[in-house]
Amino acid sequence: MRIFSNTSIDFLGRRKIAYAISFALLLTGLVSLAVRGLNYGIDFRGGSEVVLRFEQDLPVGELRTVMRDAGVSGTIKQYGMDRSFLLSTVFNGDTNELKSLISGALNSQLKGNPFEIVRIDAVGPSIASDLKWSAFKALGAALLAILIYVGIRFELKFAAAGVVAIFHDVLIVLGLFSLLGGVFEAMPLEMDQSIIAAFLTIAGYSITDTVVVYDRIRENIRNRKPAEYEQIFNESMNRTLSRTVITSCTTLLTVLVLFIFAGPAIRAFAFAVFAGILVGTYSSVFVAAPLAFEWIKRSKAPVKLRGSQKA
Amino acid sequence: MKNKRYNLLLIVGVTLLALWSLVPTWKEYSLGKQLEAFRSPQDSLNFVLSHRDEIEDARQKGLKLGLDLKGGMHLVMEVDQIDLFVQKAWNRDAKFDAIMEEVGLQAATTDADVIDLVSAAFRKQNIRLSRYFYDIRNSDAEIQGKLRKEATDALVRAREIIRNRIDQYGVAEPMITTQGNRKIIIELPGISDENRMRNLLKGTAKLEFRLLREKGALQRTLDAINAALPAPSSSGAPNGSSNDGLYRFVQVYGSDNAVVRAENRELVAGMLSRPEAVSQLPPDSELLLAARADEADDGGRLYAIYLVRKTAEMTGGVITEAKATFGSQGVQPEVLMSMNSEGTSKWARITGANIGKRIAIVLDGAVYSAPVVQSKIPNGNSVINGIQSLEEAKDLEIVLKAGALPAPVRIVEERTVGPSLGADYIRAGLQSLLWGFSAVVVFMIFYYRQGGLAADVALVLNVLIVLSVLAGFNASLSLPGIAGIVLTMGMAVDANVLIYERIREELAEGRSITSALSEGYDRAFSSILDSHVTTLAAAFLLYTYGIGPIQGFAVTLMIGTAASLFTAIVVTREIFRLLVSKNLMSSKSFG
Repeated sequence: MRIFSNTSIDFLGRRKIAYAISFALLLTGLVSLAVRGLNYGIDFRGGSEVVLRFEQDLPVGELRTVMRDAGVSGTIKQYGMDRSFLLSTVFNGDTNELKSLISGALNSQLKGNPFEIVRIDAVGPSIASDLKWSAFKALGAALLAILIYVGIRFELKFAAAGVVAIFHDVLIVLGLFSLLGGVFEAMPLEMDQSIIAAFLTIAGYSITDTVVVYDRIRENIRNRKPAEYEQIFNESMNRTLSRTVITSCTTLLTVLVLFIFAGPAIRAFAFAVFAGILVGTYSSVFVAAPLAFEWIKRSKAPVKLRGSQKA
Repeated sequence: MKNKRYNLLLIVGVTLLALWSLVPTWKEYSLGKQLEAFRSPQDSLNFVLSHRDEIEDARQKGLKLGLDLKGGMHLVMEVDQIDLFVQKAWNRDAKFDAIMEEVGLQAATTDADVIDLVSAAFRKQNIRLSRYFYDIRNSDAEIQGKLRKEATDALVRAREIIRNRIDQYGVAEPMITTQGNRKIIIELPGISDENRMRNLLKGTAKLEFRLLREKGALQRTLDAINAALPAPSSSGAPNGSSNDGLYRFVQVYGSDNAVVRAENRELVAGMLSRPEAVSQLPPDSELLLAARADEADDGGRLYAIYLVRKTAEMTGGVITEAKATFGSQGVQPEVLMSMNSEGTSKWARITGANIGKRIAIVLDGAVYSAPVVQSKIPNGNSVINGIQSLEEAKDLEIVLKAGALPAPVRIVEERTVGPSLGADYIRAGLQSLLWGFSAVVVFMIFYYRQGGLAADVALVLNVLIVLSVLAGFNASLSLPGIAGIVLTMGMAVDANVLIYERIREELAEGRSITSALSEGYDRAFSSILDSHVTTLAAAFLLYTYGIGPIQGFAVTLMIGTAASLFTAIVVTREIFRLLVSKNLMSSKSFG
């Protein structure tokens, strides 16, 4: 079976449309980031989260009332599993105190409905700022490493265009998180460590897609004149289109499986990677390669790509 | 296609190695199953006893499950460096205390280096560090160096003491490591009583023997503080009694007894630490509250207040042995302590010189008991009573034996997963693995036919390699780790997709299957290499800068990606070579 055989889509000819789409997506995301901001999880803002599971169904309002009467501040939401609730409150350094406050109130007010504290996460403010920094460093270092590696293996303009594409992908997903953060009760899309992991996964995936296209361009471009570049770029992208789509399909399949089966702790991560792979696949064809093309077209001299294979 | 033999041998070797390193995991699983099958506890006990070595071995070499899957606590504790430096300062005054307090507030919300913060704060006030620390002739840089060393030492000591406490409490396979210059990371799998663990870990265990002030001093001091403190609420009419800030919560009876009700304990502790109150204290004195409440006549609970000397007669460093037992009446738990020779002679001198006076036994700033010295104690024995339960006595025994922490430690991060949630996570993880695997396998066969089948074989080997590397290197598998494996399955077939698409192109150009195969593999190689290296780089950085759960994800992603270079290229190529030699492949083999 094949989905794309011998396509000849004029990708570069449509790059202006693609730029407009990317620009609109980025702008929407940035406006949302500026207006709505991000929904930070406790990893980055500090705080305590307690997941309670009850033996019988319980309306969330009732639990809220009991907790408010007991003097537990914070919010209570339905958690992704059955009969479970997520209580988020401030970090006070003494989890025992929080636990006894919760247990005391529940044992006296909801006697007929035994509960269990299945998870406690508490992150102090100094740790939160620590984690934030690590996240920035990891993303920065990843972008730099990719820039250097692709720069060495191909050429700096290609590498820069690839990194721009990564920025494009991560920013769009970030914008999506800002736009949809807190919209779905079951999936609050909070920014936490797992989302940073998602961003790095997206960065790795996006550059992989881009590199495959570059690799084909490198193979075809040797000893050709700058005037033919547009045709070579288009041909290379068409030739790799099938692979790009198939790999995206298999990866999207597994991410979808994670989203459905892996439980609430992984859901936001799976969502981010899913969106990232979609955008990353798009950007390798419509952002990275066209940008590299524009750049080398302007520099006029024929490009010399390193590492051409001796086929 | 050279090195035919060599490649085949390599594949067989890797497969066997992977299977071999997973044998203990399988054994652990099957032993567990057998154990579950027994009906009576006696049978299972006998089984465990007769197979003890086997079980132990399997557990040690088998694939370990992360804290999130098994249930357990992950704690990050921070050494209070401000407190440590305050201890080291020799010329403390109000200004110093004010600066340190301000630095303390800053340090609580950033991860900045505390020594840098301290230096910056003093520099801003134009005060040289040597005014308070070490030798007056030292430069700021020298003092920073000394403080830094002090901080490192304190961290190492704190880690050892915490390790001691955990070992004595008895936790299977705890992991205790330090991070940076003030954090200790503690991983405790399968803890049943987290509350007790938290209490055990956070106390400094600073034991002090302090003399109580002379008779009447307590009442005089409390009177003075009461007069100095304004009423807590200013709403009341300004009549005479409204000035009784303290005595609204504290009752004094006799000349040397003062108590506070349990519900007002925190409030009164706060009042007593206010500067107006502290300034009323006699020199070298301090007011401390009891660790345990006594029952009042009306059923309420009362904490005693003590006025003790600020300088301790002796500290817990001399304690060599501690033992939790029941006291002479057999109902009150207590902890017996014995001291080293230096402590023994000092204790004899102190008790001998203070017969008839009271000595308070103070642990972490709370008075456990304040017995009257009846006679000189020559044998270096002492006892802590005023303990609520035997459990508490046992914990005291543990912390006393392990020694005092050089500075207070705080829990700054905690992630606790209960065993039932862990079981849920395992189920979710297995389901994701199964469905992810099935989805990819079916998709590949559907799209690439024979080629897809070969890629699927390679995928099985890939997952085996990931698991066996985790087991072999004693790493543990967490839920994010499983997510990494599932994601890797989707990405690992990328190399095959690249190769197969290339082969299809070559076939379309009219090549024979043999030459299309060899061209496909050769030409796809450079993009496979480049794309894998970039993925590996991203995963590696994630591993370097991420913590705990995220590292688990990064590790499986890295192993899976690296392994797919081998499985997707070498293994599938070998399969095709075999098939071609048996004439089982045609130009239709790739769909």
